Amino acid sequence: MKRRLFIATSIGAALGGCGPIGTALNGNAAVHGLLESAESLNHAVIGTRGLAREYRERDVDKDFRVNGFPMPSDSRYMSLIAHDFTNYRMAVDGAVERRRTFSLAELAAMPQQAQITRHDCVEGWSAIGKWQGVRLGDVLDAVVPRAGARYVVFHCMDNDGQGNLYYESLDMHQARHPQALLATRLNDAPLDPEHGAPVRLRVPTQLGYKSAKWVGRIEVVGSFANIAGGHGGYWEDQGYEWYAGI
Amino acid sequence: MRLIYRYALLTRVSHWLWVVAFAVLVSSGLQIFNASPNLDASDKSDPARRVLTISSPADGVGTATIFRHTFVTTGWLGWTDDGLGSRGPHAFPAWITIPGFQDLADGRRWHLFFAWVAGACWLIWLISAWRKGSLREMLLRPSDVPKLWPMQAYYLKLRKTPPPHGTYNPLQKAAYTFVLFLLAPFVVLTGLALSPGIDALANPLTVVLGGRQFARLWHFAGMLLLLGFFGVHTFQVATQGVFNQMRSMITGWYRTSEAETVEA
Repeated sequence: MKRRLFIATSIGAALGGCGPIGTALNGNAAVHGLLESAESLNHAVIGTRGLAREYRERDVDKDFRVNGFPMPSDSRYMSLIAHDFTNYRMAVDGAVERRRTFSLAELAAMPQQAQITRHDCVEGWSAIGKWQGVRLGDVLDAVVPRAGARYVVFHCMDNDGQGNLYYESLDMHQARHPQALLATRLNDAPLDPEHGAPVRLRVPTQLGYKSAKWVGRIEVVGSFANIAGGHGGYWEDQGYEWYAGI
Repeated sequence: MRLIYRYALLTRVSHWLWVVAFAVLVSSGLQIFNASPNLDASDKSDPARRVLTISSPADGVGTATIFRHTFVTTGWLGWTDDGLGSRGPHAFPAWITIPGFQDLADGRRWHLFFAWVAGACWLIWLISAWRKGSLREMLLRPSDVPKLWPMQAYYLKLRKTPPPHGTYNPLQKAAYTFVLFLLAPFVVLTGLALSPGIDALANPLTVVLGGRQFARLWHFAGMLLLLGFFGVHTFQVATQGVFNQMRSMITGWYRTSEAETVEA
C-alpha cells in the first residue's frame, strides 16, 4: 500500500506541478518563441481559403452581442454621432496610387454585399449577424495599392482607456477575400455606435478581434513593424496571434 | 524470470511526449475554456441550449450548472484561486491552467503548439506501428468481439482462463482502438472545427458536429473521456507491477516469468 500511496502522490505532484512549471516556462523568451512558431505553421496550413458559411435570415441574433472596448467618447466621435455620420470621412492612404477619402454616401453608392455570417470571438462564443457594406477589395481597387504594398492597416477610433488606439491589419490576400467587408449596416439597420458605427470591418474567416470596429482610417503599408507595438494589431501587441484563423 | 524488450524507442519517446502534450493541452485548454465558461449544444452561442456553465453568481460563490442543475462549487469551480494570491471569478482554478493565471493569449499559444506536437507524435507512431506490423496486433477486429466478455469474465474471476489471443487481449485491443483511433482523432477534429479558417475550408465538419459551439462541447467531452482513460491506464499501471511497467516504458525492458506466454 505504501507503494500505491507513493504512486498516487507522484501523480498528484506531477499534475499539480504542471501549472507552476508551465507558468515558469511561459516567461522564458526561448520557450515563448518556440510556442509562437505554431502561428506561421497554422497560417501556412490553414490560411485564408474557402468561404465562411452564410446563414439564413432566421439564424440572425437580433441582439448581436457587444464586446470589446466601449464606444469612443471623444469630441470627434460625439460630433460624428451628432451629425448622423454625414461628416464622417474614411481616409485611405499609404502605399497607394490614389489616396482619397470616402463619405458614407460614397460608400453606399458602391456595389453592396450582404452576408449573414458567424462571428467567432477568441473568448469562445459565437453570434450570427447580417452585415452589409462594401467589399474591402473594391475600396482597394479604387485607391490602387502600389507594388510594395503588403498589408492593409485599420486605424480605429476606440481606445483601451490608456490612450492606446485599437488597430488591426490584414495581408493583401486576406484583404481581397470576397467576404472581407467594410460593413455599414447590421441586421438591416445602419450600424449603431455600440457595434462600431459608422464603418467596421468584417473578416468572417478569422476570429472576432480581426473585425475591427469604428474604422477611421485605412493605411496600406509594406510593413507594420513601426506601427504601435509592431505586431499588426492591438491584441496582437498583447500577445495574441496575428493570424487569427484558428 | 527474464527480461524481454517490449517497447521500441519510438514507442517510448512518443508515449512520454504524449504525456507532456496531453498535460499541456488539458491545462491550456482549461485556460481557454475559462475565457467563456459555457458549453452550448448549438452552432452560435445560445443560452437556451446551454449544457454546462461555470460561474460566480456573487463574490465568494462559485457554481457549476449542468443541464440546469446547479451545484455550489466554491473554491473548485467558478470562484477559485486566481494564481495571483487571492480568489476571484475564475471557472477553473489557476493552479490547473497554463499559464497559472488568467492569460488567454498565452494559453492559446501553448494549446496550438502542443496540438501539433501531439498530432505529429501520433502520426509518426502510427506509421512506425503500421510498418512494424504491430498495428495489426492492436486493432480490434470483428473476430475479437465475441471474446470481449470472456476476457472481462476472466478479469472478474468468473472464468479460470482468458480466451486465446495474441500479443494484446481483446479488451486491450478495444481500449487502444477506441482511444488511439476513435477518441484521439475525434478530439483533433472537434478542435479543428473551432477554427473559423478551417470552418471556411471544411464547413461540413462543423455541421456534422452540430455547429461551432457544439464542437466546443464535444471537444470538452472528448477531453474528459481522455482524462478517464488516463485515470484507468494509470490505475492499471500502478496496480500491475508499477516499477516493471515504468521501466519497460522508459528503457524498453520488461521482466516476465518464463512460464508466462501471454504478455500483459
